[in-house]
Amino acid sequence: MADSNEFEPKIAAFLCTWCSYAAADLAGSSRTQYPPNIRVMRVPCTGRLDPFLIIKAFNMGADGILISGCHPGDCHYLDGNLYARRRFVMLNELMQYAGVEEERLNFTWCSASEGKRFAGVVKKAVDRVKTVGPWMGFDGQGFSKKEGDLINEQL
Amino acid sequence: MSNYDSISQEISEIAKKLLKESKVDKVIGFGLGRFTKEITPIFIKKAEDADRLIFNKNCEMSLTKYLLNYKGEKVAIVAKPCDSRAINAYLSEDLIKREDLVIIGINGCPGIEGNTACEECNIRNAVICDYSVGQEMSEEEIQAEIEGFEDEIDKMNQAERLAYFQNEFERCTRCYACREACYVCNCEQCFTDSNKPKWLGESVKLNDNFTYHLMRGIHMAGRCVNCGACEMACPEGIDVRAFAAKMCSAAEEIFDYKSGMDPEQKTLLSEYKVDDSEKGFME
Repeated sequence: MADSNEFEPKIAAFLCTWCSYAAADLAGSSRTQYPPNIRVMRVPCTGRLDPFLIIKAFNMGADGILISGCHPGDCHYLDGNLYARRRFVMLNELMQYAGVEEERLNFTWCSASEGKRFAGVVKKAVDRVKTVGPWMGFDGQGFSKKEGDLINEQL
Repeated sequence: MSNYDSISQEISEIAKKLLKESKVDKVIGFGLGRFTKEITPIFIKKAEDADRLIFNKNCEMSLTKYLLNYKGEKVAIVAKPCDSRAINAYLSEDLIKREDLVIIGINGCPGIEGNTACEECNIRNAVICDYSVGQEMSEEEIQAEIEGFEDEIDKMNQAERLAYFQNEFERCTRCYACREACYVCNCEQCFTDSNKPKWLGESVKLNDNFTYHLMRGIHMAGRCVNCGACEMACPEGIDVRAFAAKMCSAAEEIFDYKSGMDPEQKTLLSEYKVDDSEKGFME
């Protein structure tokens, strides 16, 4: 790890169990290195992801989010990610309009065989979040140490 | 554009006729309150009372939500163009039955005083109605009305936008008047009242206020008709319509979608196209 003064973002990663979670698994089993900044949450499908969960992640102090699912057309449930795509486009518009930096919102697709690509995606997402710095919350007050501990526990 | 007096007169005549012929049980419209002489929603059941129905620049509330209280009854409703879109949305979600409903639609809506949504409104004729009142406005007339409108917040940069909304939502007391006034907000249990999962804290803090408005905003995506009722209802004068209005303009721009234009229409997020835009996605 780099020296302790450097900002290391915490990124809430929502991965679809059929593709991206398997891609993360493949990256691990093939010993591809990727930054340890993501906290993985496995969801059955990106179509299950309520936009509320993403807003809530920011409310609780995640510096950024990463959402990855199956490529359009490859969904295990046929069209779950196609519904999700519209939702994320709208959510992205809303968050940017509200003044959240676009670098904090990372949406992408990763199939189960793309372990290398997954490592690249994580690296890119971490770099993007690093360029905008720590998330100070919607109130701009930052997160106190006590709350920070909670976040370490929960994210 | 039609004028208020002629619209009021026409509404009263139609209501009188409907009630005399017993085509409906009641007419929902605007009228003066019994004591305050301010505009309130009124429910007319007798033909002789139909003269109480009026329409003027203060008729700000959306009457559409009352339709949910009178399911199974024959009801006539006075609908501004935005209300007629809301009725369409209810019909498309199977919340009300078309055959139970008589819609008195207002064409060439002259707008409501103090409602900023009317300044950017490009639907000024009722999109669904049984009886229409007022004069229909042509596309050119509507364009002339909204010419020069620009979204001020869209022109700000990211930090200015965040500061603007922080400043606005700091005043929010989370009284949920915006939710009560909104026709979209008809969930049996609102996410704000849910404690498992618990989306928001109870106390009124900026962080949670902001989160509430974002969550409300994403619920509006593809459903809001930009009627401005939320903003008119806000006792603190907060720009609560901003997120919803952004969702309307983004849906129109990205997906070419306008909510409530057709009773058969699906909502934006309940359908998809294979070649949908991936705006904002990582490379």
